Amino acid sequence: MPLELTMQDKRVREILRGAHDDLARAQTSQELEQVRLKYLGKKGILSQLLRSMPSLPPADRPVVGREANAAKDEFEAELARRLAATKAEERRARLAAERIDLTLPGRRAPQGSLHPLTRVLDEIIEVFQGLGFAVAEGPEVESDYFNFEALNIPKDHPARDMQDTFYVADEVLLRTHTSPVQIRTMARQKPPVRIIAPGKVYRRDADITHSLMFHQVEGLAVDRDISMADLKGTLECFARELFGPESRIRFRPSFFPFTEPSAEVDVLCFLCRGEGCRVCKASGWLEILGSGMVHPQVLRTVGYDPEEVTGFAFGMGVERIAMLKYGIDDIRLFFENDLRFLAQF
Amino acid sequence: MKISYRWLREFVETGLPPQEVADRLTMAGIEVAGVAPVVTGLEGVVVGELTGVTPHPAGAPLTLCQVSTGRERFSVVSGAPNVRPGVRAAFAPPGARLPGGRRVEMAVIKGSASQGMLCSEAELGIGEDAGSILQLSEDAEPGADLVAYLGLEDSILEVEITPNRPDCLSVVGVAREVAALTGAPFRSPLIAVKEGDQEAAALATVSVEAPDLCPRYAARLITGLRVGPSPSWLAQRLRSVGLRPINNLVDVTNYVLWEFGHPLHAFDHEALTGGRIVVRRARPGEVLVTLDGQSRSLTEAMLVIADAQRAVGLAGVMGGVNTEVTAATRTVLLESAYFLPVSIRRTAKALGLKTEASYRFERGADIEGLRDALDRAAQLLADLGGGVVARGVLDVYPHPRPPARVSLRLDRIQRVAGVSPPRPAVIQILKALGLPVEEQAERLEVVVPSHRRDLAIEDDLVEEVIRVWGYDRIPSTLPAGPLLLTRRPHHLALEAAVRQALAGRGLREAITYSLINPAYLPPFGVEASDPRVVALRNPLSGDRSVLRPTLLPGLLEVLAGNVRRQLADVQLFEIGRVFEVQGPGELAREETRLGVVLTGLRAPRSWHAGKDRVDLFDLKGVVETVVEVLGRGEVGVEEADLPYLEEGRGVFAVVEGARVGAFGELTPRLAEAFDLSAPVYVGELSLDRLEALPPRPTRHRPLPRFPGVSRDLAVVLPAGVPTAEVSRVIRETKSPWIRQVQLFDVYAGEQVGPGLRSLAYSILYQAEDRTLTDAEVNAVHAEVIGRLRGLLGAEIRGLEGEER
Repeated sequence: MPLELTMQDKRVREILRGAHDDLARAQTSQELEQVRLKYLGKKGILSQLLRSMPSLPPADRPVVGREANAAKDEFEAELARRLAATKAEERRARLAAERIDLTLPGRRAPQGSLHPLTRVLDEIIEVFQGLGFAVAEGPEVESDYFNFEALNIPKDHPARDMQDTFYVADEVLLRTHTSPVQIRTMARQKPPVRIIAPGKVYRRDADITHSLMFHQVEGLAVDRDISMADLKGTLECFARELFGPESRIRFRPSFFPFTEPSAEVDVLCFLCRGEGCRVCKASGWLEILGSGMVHPQVLRTVGYDPEEVTGFAFGMGVERIAMLKYGIDDIRLFFENDLRFLAQF
Repeated sequence: MKISYRWLREFVETGLPPQEVADRLTMAGIEVAGVAPVVTGLEGVVVGELTGVTPHPAGAPLTLCQVSTGRERFSVVSGAPNVRPGVRAAFAPPGARLPGGRRVEMAVIKGSASQGMLCSEAELGIGEDAGSILQLSEDAEPGADLVAYLGLEDSILEVEITPNRPDCLSVVGVAREVAALTGAPFRSPLIAVKEGDQEAAALATVSVEAPDLCPRYAARLITGLRVGPSPSWLAQRLRSVGLRPINNLVDVTNYVLWEFGHPLHAFDHEALTGGRIVVRRARPGEVLVTLDGQSRSLTEAMLVIADAQRAVGLAGVMGGVNTEVTAATRTVLLESAYFLPVSIRRTAKALGLKTEASYRFERGADIEGLRDALDRAAQLLADLGGGVVARGVLDVYPHPRPPARVSLRLDRIQRVAGVSPPRPAVIQILKALGLPVEEQAERLEVVVPSHRRDLAIEDDLVEEVIRVWGYDRIPSTLPAGPLLLTRRPHHLALEAAVRQALAGRGLREAITYSLINPAYLPPFGVEASDPRVVALRNPLSGDRSVLRPTLLPGLLEVLAGNVRRQLADVQLFEIGRVFEVQGPGELAREETRLGVVLTGLRAPRSWHAGKDRVDLFDLKGVVETVVEVLGRGEVGVEEADLPYLEEGRGVFAVVEGARVGAFGELTPRLAEAFDLSAPVYVGELSLDRLEALPPRPTRHRPLPRFPGVSRDLAVVLPAGVPTAEVSRVIRETKSPWIRQVQLFDVYAGEQVGPGLRSLAYSILYQAEDRTLTDAEVNAVHAEVIGRLRGLLGAEIRGLEGEER
């Protein structure tokens, strides 16, 4: 081997050793970059060496070139490895320094809420809409005729005691139920009728379970062949949707002047599953609505023929259902509108 | 109404336990709210005879009583006023147990040994009286067990009777139901009157001058009575159903009332002038002092029982003091009548006097059964009072009512109930209910007895059959028939959208009473006496006596309530109706409105939010959101001079040229009236009016295909020039290229000088068919500037532009 070549070779190895030492000394990615420039920059040692290749004797070139290129590759590989490790280290250090507390609450736009009665009303309406009932409305200040007489509750009838009434004039009152909407609807349209009437109603009565104003949803279905079995099926469906698929209901005979036969409807207490608890007063059942077959007299009043069509009607207090559903024990909370109460819904 | 189970069993031979009977009744429509034993924990208490009573050394009211139980004698200290030798009383010897687990022991009371105790009703847990010992009849056997003697092994059923079933306001009526429901035989009450020789007609006469209000009036006379305490069994039975024993005379009428459900009244015969009963309308100005001591002014619409001269009772409601039976009464005239329900109801209501009698008469008494009640009571009176029932009944019943007949088709049961029991079962149920049935080919003819006047139509019978057969046997189906459109009414869908949008903005929905205190109204420009205010005739209280003409007072009340509870940041809305009188006799005008109230911090305190308080522009933002959600155009404002809004800080909201509401800052005076110190912002919009405006059609507009150029400019103007005016001047520049005008900064301060402000606008110029050249944009922009200068005298600063 020619002396010069050996020298060249030796030089490459020296450079390489120096480069490795430099890399080993470098602590930061910045320092590594400086090392890279020192060897591989435009005026870098290795770059110059490679650039000087054409000045070598042609015979030496392949050998030296191979050596130099190998040295460059080795250096670059080492550099890349160190750079990756250092950068990862630096990143870790930076993240540790700039640690974020992810338990801090997120940035939220202030969220309001719908009143619990609105939520329950919406749910009830949705269920009945799905069953083919349309929503109907009527005035809250109502005539004695629509509120009572057309519903088979004549003046001076004891059934009027069932609903203590606010009057604004002789024949004008605050509706005590949304049943007048049924009359108004039937008086306006021919069967088939299938409506629910949600809205505010008023009774002259106030304590922990009675409010002088509350909300009702009444339902009415009149057609050629509507029976109490249809009423039962409809309300079973409603109970399952509102109180869960395990819900069961039972019918108890009762009396309402505008239905015959009439039934109170109880739902199996969903707190104790019928075992008996404080909420259901140990009976296992919760009374949730009144219902029945539309009284023939009511059908006649609106011009329907009770021999041709039959119908069912039902009515429920929205507050009562909300109280059961959410475990609220005082009806007045709904109208106090304490923010801490509203925020729970 | 309380029903004694032992009493019940006198009329129906059921062996079922009380709870089971209660459950069957409930499931058949006679709701039993509770079943409770008459006493619990009473053990070893016996009948004691007081053989001697001597003063206690410690002085009155204590006494030393010698008590005999037949075999044993006890010395007992008592503080009761009614201890006398010979009296038989409830006695608890040492070792006896009283309700509540109390065990009676030997005791020393003020130096004297007391071997047991003489007990009051209250101590025995069977009544209210705690001041005296329970005195028993003279025939009570000393040493007999008190529980057995008084029949205390009994349960009380608390029944709730619907208004259609007055027949069940009685032991006999409930017994009939139990018989029908359980199949146990019903035992009709045995009524046998032993009449004396004296003719009733010789003692008194009855004439009915108002047969329209009194279709039937019957009376008996009982002579030779001695008024005294009732026997123990009778007194106890009344106590057990919550009635207070008074004397044998009164107690018998109450007893028969409870048993038969028919109200009776006893007059002192000697007090009846001329021995006459006249049933007539009250005379104008007539006054009657009723048994409760109240002087009642009567009207001609009221029915009275009178004697030859004066009213002696308010028919069907309450008797008069002038003919009340007393300890001295020897002869009574016992009344059993039927009064027109409507008349009784009106009278009781007019006088505010509701009694056990009026309650039953207004629901309908049994016109045929009233004789049984009369006879039962007469005989019981004679038996207990040692008297004689005079011969004959004074019975005025000019037009006997024929029994009603109702027919029932079996297919009607199927049609209404969706199911039907087989024909024999139907017949059997009806018969068990005491309804005679005549069978015909297609139908059953039912003869309705007089105590079931509620059965008037076929469907009433359907219910009878089905309720006894069992509502639980009705199958479940869903209504068949055509599909019907069930879309939610448009306005409800819009209201729902508004609710969602406002809840999404951080407002909470409130629901307040539609009934408010009229005292809240004057600050809102409505006098309480304003004829437009819908006022209740019969409010429960003054603070809920008118229907709200605005949502704001109710919302402010709620807001103030929250602030009082240290919840100072309140953002609430309500959607509800307001009311206004339309005309005499007409229904009210009802309008659906949205009310908004804001106070306190804009956002809840947090690590990232600022501490800004809400201001007028939060409120305006709410208003704009609502109008946008409703899709009804832009919100403009018009200055409003409203008494509840601070001057210069209240405006009408105007959409499409129509006033749809108002909003602004509440006057500090009004805020103070609600005890609020921080500024409060209130607004109210008519959703009805907004919904009546034409909605903006939803039409797609092609996206711009060519870039636009945005230029910013700052307009310096006197602070009094509204930004709306500036925007209008820019927008109304004649050019099809002004696509967007955006106000992005408002500055007032040193750099613009006093009384001035700088408004920074960004204007986007864009053509639909090509990219605009700089020259074109410059030309329009210059025109905009020219208009601002020319029309508003504006100074223009800092022109910049950028490509978009």
